[in-house]
Amino acid sequence: MTEKKKILIVDDDFDVLEQVGSILEKAGYSVDAAQGREEAEEALLDAKPDLAILDLMMEEMDSGFVLAHHVKKLYADTPVILLTAVTSQTGMSFAQGSGGARSWVKADVVMDKPVRGDQLVNEVRRLLAR
Amino acid sequence: MIQIEVNGKTISAKEDETILSALKRAGINVPTLCYMEGLTPTGACRLCVVEVEGFPNLVPSCSHPVQEGMKIRTRSPEVLRARRVIVELLLSNHPDDCLYCVRNGSCDLQRLAEEMGIRRRTYRGSRSHHPLDVSSQSIIRDPDKCILCGKCVRVCEEIQGVSAIDFLQRGSEAYVGTAFDKGLNLSSCVNCGQCILVCPTGALTERSHVNEVLDALADPSKTVVVQHAPAVSVTLAEEFGIKPGTDVDAQMVAALRMAGFDQVFDTSFSADLTIMEEGSELVHRIQTGGALPMLTSCSPGWIKYIEEFFPELLPNVSSCKSPQQMLGALIKHFWAPKEGLAPKDVVSVSIMPCTAKKFEAARPEMARDFVPDVDYVLTTREIARLLKRCGVELGAMKPEAADTPFGERSSAGKIFGASGGVMEAAIRTANVLITGEELKDLKITPLRGLDGCKELHVDVGDLKVGAAVVNGLLNARKILEEVKAGREDLQFIEVMCCPGGCIGGGGQPLLTDSNRLKERMKVLYRIDRDETLRTSHANKWVKRLYEEFLGEPLGKRSHELLHTHYQERSDVLL
Repeated sequence: MTEKKKILIVDDDFDVLEQVGSILEKAGYSVDAAQGREEAEEALLDAKPDLAILDLMMEEMDSGFVLAHHVKKLYADTPVILLTAVTSQTGMSFAQGSGGARSWVKADVVMDKPVRGDQLVNEVRRLLAR
Repeated sequence: MIQIEVNGKTISAKEDETILSALKRAGINVPTLCYMEGLTPTGACRLCVVEVEGFPNLVPSCSHPVQEGMKIRTRSPEVLRARRVIVELLLSNHPDDCLYCVRNGSCDLQRLAEEMGIRRRTYRGSRSHHPLDVSSQSIIRDPDKCILCGKCVRVCEEIQGVSAIDFLQRGSEAYVGTAFDKGLNLSSCVNCGQCILVCPTGALTERSHVNEVLDALADPSKTVVVQHAPAVSVTLAEEFGIKPGTDVDAQMVAALRMAGFDQVFDTSFSADLTIMEEGSELVHRIQTGGALPMLTSCSPGWIKYIEEFFPELLPNVSSCKSPQQMLGALIKHFWAPKEGLAPKDVVSVSIMPCTAKKFEAARPEMARDFVPDVDYVLTTREIARLLKRCGVELGAMKPEAADTPFGERSSAGKIFGASGGVMEAAIRTANVLITGEELKDLKITPLRGLDGCKELHVDVGDLKVGAAVVNGLLNARKILEEVKAGREDLQFIEVMCCPGGCIGGGGQPLLTDSNRLKERMKVLYRIDRDETLRTSHANKWVKRLYEEFLGEPLGKRSHELLHTHYQERSDVLL
């Protein structure tokens, strides 16, 4: 049996960590959770994740963007999903298709909360298959 | 007929009609917001008030019946002032971002404010702040722009029988939302977009992919292929101010090339292909005792509906993909390799009258190795926006033919755009599949028209076939209940999610009413009347595709590329 792919989830909301974690574990992944950017930075130094799912607004409004930069700097080939409610709360969209955002948002996919479990798992599978 | 007096003039009215309908017929315009043709009036917005002699208060004309000898005033100072105050109050808590709103120029509230001559903010109300709902693949909701007219709620409940949205809270706290205030993607919404068509403001809009498609067109490493649905060429004209009911098929092909699309294909071609596959599937089911009645699978709103509400009948749904997805699969896995292109370097765009197609294209089953068969879906409204932004004037285009091998269609594929078209096309071909002979008269009148439910019993050879055609999901629910209760005289049911079929789809021009639907339907059947290639099985490019690549209907390759499966919806909430 091949080893399970490891996914790092970062969110300041414990409930999201729990729920996303259980969805991904059910889908056959091993999950590492970090509550906030600081915890995540430590986890990143400990081990390389195969994929990272990051919240955007945590300690700071832009923690997710900063963290995404760090993930890509440390591990250029680790796909990053930004899972955020920023669009619904502020109207600002950082989705990958929307012109300017793509050049500086270091995420492979930006997904809006709330997300359906199957949508998320499908994106994870797609990114890990690349 | 009875006589009523309006502004001092006598006009005649029918006995059981409302004041509004009598006024309309007499050519007197009364502004409305919550009024919906064909549905029970609610009288909620009070914009249509008129003065009636002997009544102490102003009367909402949309819900008040006419009476003999009524004396009505539609433009007295009191009436005009009342209407203006209503609009001023609606504006009092509206976000003033008209310049950035997708409905700028097509907004009913904006138009009314203009008509009433409102030039300053009279009342200042406290703004409501609700999160934008961007969770759905198809529809974006912005409750802050909602004026609570309730039309979306009514169309969702009374036409579609879905009730994905309703009023939440009370009084000044009221807003329209989903159950438990979850995102639309977690609700029972089927993505049909009928709510967008009736929304007077920018509270409901489609998720736009215009920017993504423009990016792809500007990317030299991508080959951008476009397909357009049968119902688009008969409505796009309206967006360019050309007379409704004009077919701009060949001009649209030229316009798309002008905008930079590398290949232009016609989804009606894969509608022909659908008939070959679905017709064969029906014959196969009848001969081998498969699940009957068979239900069509072209309409993705309808598919989500049955997955959501009648999962026990999923075995009855044809396994055929919709024409959009059939052509998408062929473009990426037949056409692209033949052209020496990798599927990921081809951007497959489809132009659809439909918002649910966006959801369909994003379904994981509709991708291979995570490369989707259709990358972006644009609605009729979006393609009009894209063409305008590219400076392409549709009316000035010289007609051009679509590209081979997916450019030629029969008129049977074209009439897919109207409710009843799939069935008519299927019967034409099934007759040949079963008896070997063409129908004498290809026109099947009982299946045509805007009725919500049409039925036909025909003999095809020795076979008695009971066919039903429904549009609007509430009508679908009725017939599904009958089937569940044991009705056995039907073998084949065509279901179209939207009223009138795709010509009334949620991605069509915003001005969609029964007159427009009639015009659009008429032009589709005119095309069918005037053309010579009128059956799907006679389409030589379809035949060639089977000879060169697919083999036979329901064959191995067909199953890989053209058929799919469905899932009961038990969403994990997050």
